[in-house]
Amino acid sequence: MSKRKIIGMAFAVLAAGWLGSAAAQAQDYKIGYITDLSGPLAGSYTPTWQGFDLYTKALNDRGGVNGRKINVTIDDDGLRADRAVAAAKKQVESNEVLGIFGLSLSSTQAPVIAEMQKVGVPVVSTFSAILDALPPAKPDYFSTGVMFEVAGEAIGVLQKQIAPSGKVVGMTFDSVGGRAAIAHNKQTVEKEGYSWDEVLFPVRTADFTPFAQTAAGMSPAMVVGHYGAEQNIGVIAALRAAGYTGPYIIAAYGASEDTARQAAAQAGSGDNIYMVSRYAVPTDNAPGMADLLAAAKKYGIANPTSMHVTGWVLGMFAEEALKKCGADCTREGLDKAIQTVKLDTKGLTGGPIEMSADNHYGPTYWRLYHWEKDKLVGVGDWLKKTDLTFPVK
Amino acid sequence: MSSQSPYLLVSYAQTNRVLPEPYQRVVVAVIVAALLCLPAFSGDYFLHLMNLCSIAVIGAVGINLLTGYCGQLSLGQASFMAIGAFTTAILAQRYGLPFLVAIPASCCAGAAVGFVVGLPALRFRGIYLAITTLAMHYAIIYVLTNYQAVVGPSASAGITVPAPSLGGFALTSERGWFYALLIIAAPVVIFGINLARSYIGRAWVAIRDRDISAETSGINVPRYKLLAFTISAALAALAGSLGAYFTTVVTVEEYTLELAIVYLAMIIVGGMGSVTGSVLGAVFITLLPFAVERISEALPWQLGTTAFGIQEAAIGVAIIGFLLFEPDGLIEIYRRVATYFERWPFRYHEIKPGGAR
Amino acid sequence: MELSVSILALGSTYALLAAGIVVIYKASRVVNFAHGELAIVGAYVFHSAGFLTGTSLTGLSLVATIAIAAAGSALFGILVYFALMRRLLGRPTFVAAMVTIGLAIILKAAIVVFFKSRSVGIPIGRQPLYNFAGGGRITWIELISILVCIATFAALAVFFQYTRLGRQFRGAAENPLLAAQRQVNINLILALAWSLAVFSAALAGVLFGSRSMLSPQSTIIGLSGLTAALVGGLDSLRGAAVGGLLVAAATYLTARLISPTLAETVPFLILLVVMSWRPWGLFGTVEELNRV
Repeated sequence: MSKRKIIGMAFAVLAAGWLGSAAAQAQDYKIGYITDLSGPLAGSYTPTWQGFDLYTKALNDRGGVNGRKINVTIDDDGLRADRAVAAAKKQVESNEVLGIFGLSLSSTQAPVIAEMQKVGVPVVSTFSAILDALPPAKPDYFSTGVMFEVAGEAIGVLQKQIAPSGKVVGMTFDSVGGRAAIAHNKQTVEKEGYSWDEVLFPVRTADFTPFAQTAAGMSPAMVVGHYGAEQNIGVIAALRAAGYTGPYIIAAYGASEDTARQAAAQAGSGDNIYMVSRYAVPTDNAPGMADLLAAAKKYGIANPTSMHVTGWVLGMFAEEALKKCGADCTREGLDKAIQTVKLDTKGLTGGPIEMSADNHYGPTYWRLYHWEKDKLVGVGDWLKKTDLTFPVK
Repeated sequence: MSSQSPYLLVSYAQTNRVLPEPYQRVVVAVIVAALLCLPAFSGDYFLHLMNLCSIAVIGAVGINLLTGYCGQLSLGQASFMAIGAFTTAILAQRYGLPFLVAIPASCCAGAAVGFVVGLPALRFRGIYLAITTLAMHYAIIYVLTNYQAVVGPSASAGITVPAPSLGGFALTSERGWFYALLIIAAPVVIFGINLARSYIGRAWVAIRDRDISAETSGINVPRYKLLAFTISAALAALAGSLGAYFTTVVTVEEYTLELAIVYLAMIIVGGMGSVTGSVLGAVFITLLPFAVERISEALPWQLGTTAFGIQEAAIGVAIIGFLLFEPDGLIEIYRRVATYFERWPFRYHEIKPGGAR
Repeated sequence: MELSVSILALGSTYALLAAGIVVIYKASRVVNFAHGELAIVGAYVFHSAGFLTGTSLTGLSLVATIAIAAAGSALFGILVYFALMRRLLGRPTFVAAMVTIGLAIILKAAIVVFFKSRSVGIPIGRQPLYNFAGGGRITWIELISILVCIATFAALAVFFQYTRLGRQFRGAAENPLLAAQRQVNINLILALAWSLAVFSAALAGVLFGSRSMLSPQSTIIGLSGLTAALVGGLDSLRGAAVGGLLVAAATYLTARLISPTLAETVPFLILLVVMSWRPWGLFGTVEELNRV
């Protein structure tokens, strides 16, 4: 009997806590953030969320925006569409959010966007962008992230700075996003006169040696890897062990200088490792980086990376949108405000992020980095891409 | 009727009743009434969760019939659901067929695949059977991944499925979905209960307990095993098909081995070999992550992102906890409570030999 | 030549994993589904211990790291036995198998909580050992993997064949009741089995992380280890070694010669073929498949 009483009391306490915690500051701007914090891509998305969190905390320390603070509800979707949709519905209904930020891989985004379009809640994804953001843009969806097709083309152009000709081998895992990136990378380099070959491997590969050996056997002038962060570590190590010592380009869908550092250590040598990224790395010393580093220090995030920068810039975007929305912001107001955002990222991206009514992605800037001893150093200038050169198949 | 004891059965109709006791009929009536009135008192989010539960219930009943009643440990649940979802997506999006055609077609597709998977499975038992179904799972997912990559306007975003519509009326609201899913899930549950009580169900239980004896008793073991696979896969395909309409987007990445384990967890928690248990288990496991999230929000100290790791672990804790302390599942707790009230004021302690129900 | 060394190196990792599964199966008839997770968690612990003892994994700090990880994994194995598996004695073995599935889920979540899902590499032995004319090379870690595997199998074989405890182990595996009546401490045997298994899993995980990389998704190697154990025979150490090599060879050769994307499914096809022909594995004891 007493065991039952204890359990009953525990439930009562928790219920009281649940009801009590529902009271938040009525004047705060409420926004939601949903991403993968425990699933396959958590290693990349957690730092992105940390960056966003840092920005909103720093913003609240300054007094918030339009005199109101920002209250962020964070939810995990485990890279599953059904959890993402459930979290979005919860945030819209229980947390009464004005907009949802973050999101995770493209496969989880479409259902969330469909649901949010029904209720008119704007969604801004960072990190992964789907084609719906390009003109003619679908309503209520925006992105400050990396679109596979655009990134593939940007990398194809930036590759010219490494070697002027030869064979380019693209490696990806056998997912729909990877194939899309490869398709556009291939078309871009072939137009520039390179020859192309590719190696696809299963998504759940743990050991990359045979694939690296196949790639090395193709005698490439350079190898590009289109996958998440972790595979780069294993692939570079395997490539070097297979005897390929030439340039390897990490396509930054979730990779950062942390990835490059691990890869360099695992490969035994950091030579010839490059990265193409939309966001600056902290060692770039962009003007906006000082604020990020200060906030990271204050809130105990050691070693921020370009993934933190991604989230930080999304925070800047959110602030700009809310500022334009005004003191009494509604969901449609926020949607309209986002469409007019022209954000100067203070050097954290190669150029401003510009949204418009028709284009919810805007021009993007990409940079090639080279790993030198213990950090990534930019090579050349930022490349601006305004649209897709090649059609989507 | 009032002078007759409920324990004195005087007709075949009485022995066949699903709900022999009067109080059971009252309980069921109350539950049904509550479910019908639920949308009036709940917001969209809660109804969304309930809808997820309904879909899970259908899948859970399927796998319980296969694993709980027939004893065939199968890890292929996710691939059967994927077959249902993709069949629906293709028929609805590519060929524009209405849901009245797409859903039954998906069930048939699932049944066919279940039959094919069941064939090699006839040779194996236990862990070997599980590995065989796992191999089939990977094969099916491989085929579907290649399909998704090649077809579809934005392949990385999956195949979009239009909302099911009848005439001019399209099903998009949570409330509408709630009733629609209830109308589908309830017959499925009744079907499962009746199937379990029929000669088919008894044959399955005989196969599960000792298939050699079942064979010598004259039960055509391969036939009933295949039947179990077929029906289970059909129900899983139904769940997948409904899920496809519900989330409006179909991607192959959703159907992982982890999903199959989640369904196994549902029947472990609910009670293997009990259809009502599948319902309980499905609801429990579906709502578990959300409950853990609420609890961690209500706690006085900030957990941050650790909370999400705990959410992930919760299902593992549930599996281990139930297996260690309540191996017969939630339904057993219910039975204990029901027996207590039935026998009251007598204290009745059931002596259970290992494994008997 | 380079291909065969790579196959040997990967095969030795799979064989080590399979050996751990076989040890537990021999002792208790339980199939351990958490083996991959145990391997990766052990490797993550090794990586973290590496930072505790100093950032460069060489010399004394390497020895200290190895000691910490070895002791930790052995103790964890004992803990898993006493906390979980012991309570399931007497129940059908498939219940224990399900419990290991639950354990696998918890361990995977632990990587998320304690290591923040960050993917890491273990940079040991990445220096080249021998360079081929064609451009390929063998690194130290591949040689170390093969040697460690051989040493472990040799140690296990000697243990089971020639030591008293090993004989008691085999006796308890065949007939626990009789062995208990002959004063064999069944709890000790089973705890030892789990301890050995988790230790070998962590060892395999570290070797794997040194050759490739570690992430929460790397736990998939447990499935390869299980496939290897099934192919070789769940109660045969010899089978574990052969199974590991077979699965590695199948994966490699498919990836290089047939089609890279099929490399994931081929081990399962091999398993299906072997099981259709000899359901108890290549070297397993022939008996009625009434387990689990």
